[in-house]
Amino acid sequence: MKLKTLISTMASVLLIGSQAAYADKWGEQFPHIAATGDIPGMCSYEEMSKKDYSGRTLTINTHAIPVMGEPTALHAEQFEKLTGAKVEVTHTPAGDLYSKAMVPFQAGQAPYDIVFGFSNFINDWKRYLAPVPQKYVDQMTDVTASHIAIASWGDTMYQYPVDGDRHYLKYRKDVINNPKMQQKYKADTGKELRVPQTWKEYAEMATYFNGWDWDGDGELEYGSAEVMKKDDLMFAAFYSRSAAYSKNEATPGGFFFDLETMEPLINNPGFVEALTDWVEAVNYVPPGGINFGLGDEINSFGGGQTLFSFSWDDAFVAAMQPDSPIANQVGAAQLPGANKVWNRTKGAWDNKPNQAPFFVWGWAVGVAEKSKNQDVAFDYLCFFANGANHQADIGIGRFGVNPFMEPDFKAEVWTDIGWDPLVAKEYVDTLAEMEASTNRVFPLRVPGTFEFNSALATGAAKALAGQLSPQAALDEVAAEWKAILERVGADNVRDAYAIGVAMEDNKL
Amino acid sequence: MNFKHKYAFLLPGLIVLIGILIFPIIFTVRLSLSGWNSYNPELDFIGIKNYIRLFTEDPRFWQSFFRLSFLAITTVFLQYVIGFALAHVVWKDIKFKRFFRVLFLIPMMTTPVIMTVIWRTFFHESLGPLNDFLSIFGVQPPWLSSPGLAKVSIIVVEVWQWTSFMFLLLLAGLLSLPKEPFLAAAIDGASPFKKFIYVTFPLMAPISIGAIIIRLIEASKIMDTVFVLTSGGPGTATETSSFYIFIKGLREFQMGYAATASFTYLIVMIISLTIIAKVLTKVLMKE
Amino acid sequence: MPKLYTFIKYFCVILWACFVVAPFLWAISTSFKDFNSVTGGATYIPWLQFEPTLDGWSVLFKPGSQGGINIIGPYFNSIFVTVTASLISIVLGTLAAYALSRYTFKAGIVQNNDITFFFISQRIMPPVVLSIPFFLFLSSIGLLDSLAGLIIVYIVLLMPIAVWIMVDFFNRVPREIDETALIDGCNPFQAFFKVVLPNSIPGMIVAGLFCIIFGWIDFFFAFILTFTNVQLLPVKIVALNSSITPWWSLSAAALVSVAPLIIVAFIVERYLSKGNLSGALK
Repeated sequence: MKLKTLISTMASVLLIGSQAAYADKWGEQFPHIAATGDIPGMCSYEEMSKKDYSGRTLTINTHAIPVMGEPTALHAEQFEKLTGAKVEVTHTPAGDLYSKAMVPFQAGQAPYDIVFGFSNFINDWKRYLAPVPQKYVDQMTDVTASHIAIASWGDTMYQYPVDGDRHYLKYRKDVINNPKMQQKYKADTGKELRVPQTWKEYAEMATYFNGWDWDGDGELEYGSAEVMKKDDLMFAAFYSRSAAYSKNEATPGGFFFDLETMEPLINNPGFVEALTDWVEAVNYVPPGGINFGLGDEINSFGGGQTLFSFSWDDAFVAAMQPDSPIANQVGAAQLPGANKVWNRTKGAWDNKPNQAPFFVWGWAVGVAEKSKNQDVAFDYLCFFANGANHQADIGIGRFGVNPFMEPDFKAEVWTDIGWDPLVAKEYVDTLAEMEASTNRVFPLRVPGTFEFNSALATGAAKALAGQLSPQAALDEVAAEWKAILERVGADNVRDAYAIGVAMEDNKL
Repeated sequence: MNFKHKYAFLLPGLIVLIGILIFPIIFTVRLSLSGWNSYNPELDFIGIKNYIRLFTEDPRFWQSFFRLSFLAITTVFLQYVIGFALAHVVWKDIKFKRFFRVLFLIPMMTTPVIMTVIWRTFFHESLGPLNDFLSIFGVQPPWLSSPGLAKVSIIVVEVWQWTSFMFLLLLAGLLSLPKEPFLAAAIDGASPFKKFIYVTFPLMAPISIGAIIIRLIEASKIMDTVFVLTSGGPGTATETSSFYIFIKGLREFQMGYAATASFTYLIVMIISLTIIAKVLTKVLMKE
Repeated sequence: MPKLYTFIKYFCVILWACFVVAPFLWAISTSFKDFNSVTGGATYIPWLQFEPTLDGWSVLFKPGSQGGINIIGPYFNSIFVTVTASLISIVLGTLAAYALSRYTFKAGIVQNNDITFFFISQRIMPPVVLSIPFFLFLSSIGLLDSLAGLIIVYIVLLMPIAVWIMVDFFNRVPREIDETALIDGCNPFQAFFKVVLPNSIPGMIVAGLFCIIFGWIDFFFAFILTFTNVQLLPVKIVALNSSITPWWSLSAAALVSVAPLIIVAFIVERYLSKGNLSGALK
C-alpha cells in the first residue's frame, strides 16, 4: 500500500511539477498570461501548440476595437503562433454586426468562419451556425447554468460562450457611503441615503444629487447616466427598469407576452409605471442625456459625472481603471426593485417588494455551418475562452470580456488587479446573486426580435421626448407588436418564446 | 449627323449602366412583392400586400417624407444661397482668392460617416465645445435633445458639408461665363447689384437648376448625419425616409418591406423632382 | 458704398472660413486627447488644459492585436478603387453626355432629357435596398470582396454624376465649334476628340473631382460588399467605433482621410482658374 501511495504521490507531484513548468514556459512566451501562466485544459496553450494548422486560413468578423475586437485580434495572433494557422480578423461596429453576418448568410454564403454578435441573435442565425460539438460542451464545466442556457436553443448549443453580460446598478460610494452626505440627505429629506432598493428611491436620490458639485472637482454633477438614445441598445435600459414592476413570480408564463394567448404585455401597468419613471428621469440626467448612447453613458459615469448608472459592465470597469479619477469609489449592486409588482392574473398590483435581474444579452460568437474550417474555428474559440486567457481578459476592462465562469466570482481575481477588496467583494457578490436568483428576465429571442424591440424603442423614445404619454406610447407599441405577430405568425413566435419562458420559470 | 455615330457615343455608358443595374432594380421590385425578412429569407410571392401595408398602415413612412422635404429643401436652399454668394465673392477681385477657393472646397471631401462623429462631439451638450463656448452667454441649448434644435443641428452639419458642392459648381459656372454681357453692362454703367440681377443670375440659371436638382437628390438620402447625430430622434423628430428604410431593411431585416418603401420612395422622388425641375426652369429662365 | 461692399465681402468670407475650419481645429485638438481629457469637459489647448498623447494617432497604424487598426493597406485600396472607378466613369460618362447634348434621341416617347434623367435617377435609390441585390450580383460573378467588384459597383454610382455634369458643360459649348470642325473635314469622332474635348477640360475636372469625392467617401457599399480580402478606408476606420466612441482616434482618422483630397482640391482649383471657356471660343 505504502509503495503505491508513494509512487502515485510522486507521479502527481511530477505531473503537477511538469505542468507548472509548462505554465511558466507559456507565460514567458505570451506576456498576456504572464500572471497565471498556462492553465491546463483541453484548449490550453500547451494543447494548442500540439496542433498543426499550417496552410489553413480562418476568417473572423468581430466587434470594433477594443471591446471584444482587441481580444479577438490578440488571441488570433497567439493562435497563429501556436498552430501555424493564418487568422484574418475584421472589425465591425456593434449596430452592424447583425447585417454583416446575415446578408451573406441569407444569400447562401459564409465569407466568415466565425461571426461575433449579440446573444439575442440566436434565433435568427442559428440555422446558419454549426452546433458546438459535444467535446467542447463537455469541458465547459465552469460556465454558469444561465450562460449555458443563453448560448443554447433548447438542447443544442449554437453560440460558444466567451462572455457574460448583465445589467446592474452602479453608484458612487464616495457619496452613498459618506457619513456627511448621509446626514445632509437625512436632514433635508428625512430618508436614509443608502443603495436604492427601489426605482422610486433611485429617482429621489438622483434628483437630490442633480445639478450641483457634490464631489468638489469644480464641475457640476448629475443624478444618473442612462442609455436613452433611440438606437440599438436603449430598449435594454427600459427592460431593466421594468423588470421589477412586471416580472412576477406569481404569474409565470411570460414577461413580454402571455405565452398562451400571445397577447403583448408591454402596455400593462407594470411597464407603464416603469416608463413613467423613465420620463421623470429626463429631469435628472446630464445635459443632452436624452441623447446618450452607451458610449456617452460610459463617458459620463466613468468620467465621474453622475451618481448612478445601470447597464452593462463597461461603465463600472471604466471607472475602475487605475488612472480614473473615481477609481475604487464606485460600488455595484443589484438593479433597484420595486415595492409593487403587477399581477396580471388578478388584474391588480401585488404590494410586495420585488426584484428581478435582467440577463441582458452579451457578446456571442458562432461558427458558420458552411465554413470549411469548423475544426480550426472551434479550437480557436475554445482557446479564446481557455482558463488562462479568460482570467487575463476579464481583468482588462476595455476588452469587454465579463465574468461567466464560477472561478470569476471570487474576489481574489479582482483584488489581484488592484481593486479595493470591498469593491471587489461587492462586485462578485452582486454577480453571484444574479446567477442564483429565481426571478430572472431573459432577453427576447424570437423571430422578429428586432422588430419588436425597434417598435418598443420608438414608443419609449416618443414618451421620453414628450410626444406621447407613457400609456399612449406603450399602447402604440402593443398595437405594433400585434401587427408584427400577425406578420410573423403568432405560433412561430410562441414556439420560440416558450424556450425563454421555460428559462425564466426555472424549468430549464 | 450620322446615325451610327450618336449611338457609338451614347451606348457604351448606357449599356454598362443598364447592364450592372438591371438585375438590382428588377430584384428590388421582385423583393418588394415578397415577404423576405430575417426568419423567412425566401423570395415568396405575397402580391401587393407590402404596398397595401405601406399605404394604409404606415403613417410613419409618410410622416418621414414631410420631415425629409423640410430638411432637404431647407438645406439645399441655404447651400444654394450661401454657395452662390461665396462663389461670387471669390470669383474675382479679392485677396487670397485661391486660398479661399481651396478652403471652401474641403468640407465636402470629408467622409460623412466619420465627420459626423466629430460633429456629434462638437454638439455634445455636456462635453462639447459649442455649449462650452455658449455658456459664456449663459445659454446651453439642447442641440440634440430637443426636436426643434435637433433639426437645426442636422441642417448645420449638412450645410457645412455640402455648400462646397454648390460652391464648386457655381464657381465653375461663373468662371466660364462669356465676357460680353458684362462688358455691355459696364458700358451701361450698371451697379454691381443690377449687374447681378440682370446679367449674372440669368446666365447662371441653367447651372443653378442642375445644381439644385442634384443636391436635392443627394440631400434626400440624408443618412449618415441623422444616424450618427440623433438616430432619428428625439422621438421621431428627425427621422427621414431613407433612415426609416435603413431601419426597416438592415436593422429589422424586413427586406421585402424595405424594398417596397424604397420603390415607392423612388417613384415619389422622380415625380417630385420632375415637377420641381419644371417649376424652377419656368421661374429662373423667365428673367 | 464700394468700401462698405468690400467690407461685407471680406466679413462674409472670413466668417464662413471660420465656420469651415472650426470642426477641423476641434478635431486636431481632440486627436491628442485620451479618455479622461474628454470626459472632464470641453478642453482645447494641449499642455495648458490637458495632457496630450499620441494614442489617437498611433492607433491608426498598430495592428489589431495591439488595439489598433492598420489603415495603410486600406488607404491605398481606397485610392486605387476610387481613381479607377472615377476614370472609367468619366470616360463612359463624357461620351454619353456628348451624345445626349449634341444628338437627338427618340425611342417612342423617350427623349434626350428622359435618358439624362434616367442616368441621374440612379442616385435617388437609397443604398440600403441595393445591398442584397448587389451582393447577389457580385457573388454570382464571383467578385465579392474584390477590388474589381467594388469598382464595378462604384461605376454605377459615379457615372450618373459624370453624365449630368458633362451634359451641362457640353450644352454650353457652342455647336459652332463642332460644325466648324466637321466643315474642316473631320468626322464626328475627330471633331469630338480634337476640338470639343480640349474645351471641356474644366468640366471634366469638376466631374472628376465629384467622382473622386463620392467614391472616396462611400461607406455603405464598401461595408456590405467586402470582407477580409479587400478593406477600404472608411470601413476600416469605423472599426474603431466600439461602445466607447474614441473621439481621439476618430478625429485623427478624419484628418488623415481628408488629406489626399486636399491635394486634389489644389489641382482642381488651378485648372478652374486657368481654364476659361469663353476665351477659347475666339
